[in-house]
Formats: sequence, C-alpha cells, structure tokens
Amino acid sequence: MQFDEVAPGVYPSLIHLPYQSTRSRGPTQPPLRVKAPVPASDGVRFSPALVGPKDLDLTSHGRSAPLGEKIIVSGRVVDEDGRPVRRSLLEVWQCNAAGRYWHPKDQHDAPLDPNFHGVGRMFTDDDGRYRFVTIKPGPYPWGNHDKAWRPAHIHFSLFGNVMAQRLVTQMYFANDPLFAFDPIYQSIPDDAARARLAAHLDMAHTDGGNALGYRFDIVLRGRHATPMGL
Amino acid sequence: MTNGITSSQTIGPFPHEGWRWAAELSQQGAVGAGLVTISGVLYDGQGAPVSDGWVEAWTPAAAPVEHERPLPGFRRCATGEQGEFRLELSAAPRPGEPVAWIALFARGLLKHQFCAVFLVDAPGLANSELLAQVPAARRDTLIAQRQADGSYRWDIHLQGERETVFLDFT
Repeated sequence: MQFDEVAPGVYPSLIHLPYQSTRSRGPTQPPLRVKAPVPASDGVRFSPALVGPKDLDLTSHGRSAPLGEKIIVSGRVVDEDGRPVRRSLLEVWQCNAAGRYWHPKDQHDAPLDPNFHGVGRMFTDDDGRYRFVTIKPGPYPWGNHDKAWRPAHIHFSLFGNVMAQRLVTQMYFANDPLFAFDPIYQSIPDDAARARLAAHLDMAHTDGGNALGYRFDIVLRGRHATPMGL
Repeated sequence: MTNGITSSQTIGPFPHEGWRWAAELSQQGAVGAGLVTISGVLYDGQGAPVSDGWVEAWTPAAAPVEHERPLPGFRRCATGEQGEFRLELSAAPRPGEPVAWIALFARGLLKHQFCAVFLVDAPGLANSELLAQVPAARRDTLIAQRQADGSYRWDIHLQGERETVFLDFT
C-alpha cells in the first residue's frame, strides 16, 4: 500500500501544552518518513477464534443488565480509497455510565457496575462493517486542570490490514458541550478532523424500543491496496 | 497529501482491562529455535520511567512459525511500575530487516509512534536499507545491545537527547 503524508493539523499536536502529560511524553522530532515495504504491505492476520458473541455485546458480561443507556455503535472501516478494511481486528474499551473505568487505578468517586467491565472486540466483516452493543459512557474528571472533565468517549483500537494502518483513537458523541473544554479533543488543530471523531445518532441502526444507534465511520491511512483485500 | 483520515487520540491510562487478553497471549513465549528476548525501559523526556505505556511488536518472519497461534508474530506488553517491558520473539530477523516492528502507546502520547528494533549482532545490519535511511547519529536508538546472558537490551526514549527515531511509512 501507499501511505501519503498526512495533511497538517489532522493528527494531534504531540506536545499540546494544555494537556500536561504531553510536555514530557510527546516526541519533539517529526517522524522520519522511510521506505519500508514490510509494514506497508505485509498483512497482519489474527485468528477469527479470538472473538466470541459476548465480545460484541458489552452489556452481556454480568449476571444482569448494566445500569445506563444501552446503545448500538456501528460503522464502516475503509482505507483512503474507500475500500473496505475487511476481517480486521477492532478493540473497544470505555468507562461505565457513571464515568468509572474497571481499573484499579481509577480513583474517581463514582460507582463501579459489577455488570459492566467496558471491554469488547470484534472483526470487521467483508464490507468493513462493525457493530457492538454497549452502555453510553459518562463524562469523568481527570485532574489535568481545574474542572477538567472528559467528554464521553469510547476508545477504539484498530489493526487495519497492514501494520502501517494501526490506529488508536476515541469516539465521541456529536455536539458534546464539553468539547470546548477538553485539551485531548482540542489537541487536533484541524476542525474537520476533530469533527470526524464524533459519532452521530443513527435511526437506521436504532433497535426499536431497545437501544438507540450511533454511527461512527473510520478511515484508515493507506491507498492502492491490492484487490486481494490487503 | 491526505485529508479524510480518522485522527488519533491517546490510549489514556486505563486500557488494561481491554488490552490484557493480547498481553496474556504474548506470554506464551517463543516457538522454535529462534528465541530472541528483548527487554528495556520506556522513558519520558525527563528521564522518568513511563509506567503506563504499551509496547507492541510485530515480527513477520515469526508469523509462519506461529501459524497455529491466535496472534502469529505479534506481541503486546504493558510497561511495569519501573517502565520496564520484555518481548520474547520467535524468529531471527531476515537480513537487513529489524527483528521487530514496534508500535508504542502511552497516556500523554496523542498519537502512537512506530519504530523498529534491530539486533546489534544481526547479519546484514551494515547493509540494512531501513537503517541507511536513518541519520547515522541516531541509528543507535533502534539497535538492541547484547547482554551477557544472551538476551538483548533496548530502551525507548519518547523525548530528549536520546529520543528514539520514530518512523512514518511511505
């Protein structure tokens, strides 16, 4: 595959002063663009047996239903040519409806939900589509500055078809009033690139009286994939 | 130049519940005779260890050897309280190729970083097409050094004088 330069402002600024941890963790030198055939062309393939039905339904891991608003998140993963990224692993993780992660170091004074661990994984289908059922995550404070509250989000990790397509990002919910105050979201300079991280209400995938649908499409880097689907 | 791609965001401090399944599978260790162990520490720009980072290694040469495993040729490791990580790989590198391609994640790192790690005594190192593209003064940041016990040591520096060379692919 071919990996063009990313337009300025599409990726976050690696040192974004309002997000304090970036000051000592963001690399200062621009990445070195190299010709390296292996990560751009060799397929990364994982066993389909890695994913079971429960992995697609984050509300199914406890003895009963978790608290919160049940939602369905779905979308399509494509490359820059619009070709589907097929049979590719996708991981998601998130906090619960009260804004608390299932993690020993999350000290936010909000309740854990024994029926919700906030973890899922799935493969895209032959059309690049994915779908999972979950609970709408809550906002939570994170101590970066006074009144620092993260907008509600779901973390996404995608492997693509070749290593150079690997992506970790966060899916937000459109029109969240916390966007304006969040240094992580605001670390992306380009308005349109920021806006693309928001999921939109999707009545087409809303399940009757069961759960509202949200749509989040993803475009991974890379063009000129071979017709084999790589 | 590209436009419509989906941007990146940090993994944050709490991916462990979601990511540990692959870290556990990675502890199955190496297959066959080509065992390579690389250990090191992930540092920030102040020289402090990064205790909530993640190192992923992909070794295409190992994928055929590990074809019966769920994640052939792939490893994932969370850094420990002292920033330490350890990778056990199944295959010796192809001549001139790194022993593993690396993806690196951390809280405070708004986009994952790619790099590669070479073994100091690997055949073909001097003729590596990848290393030839890296400024000579910074090549050492991608080379793991052999230890007395036969394993390799490789530290990663997110920032500072010894900042690791991070890569973007064409």
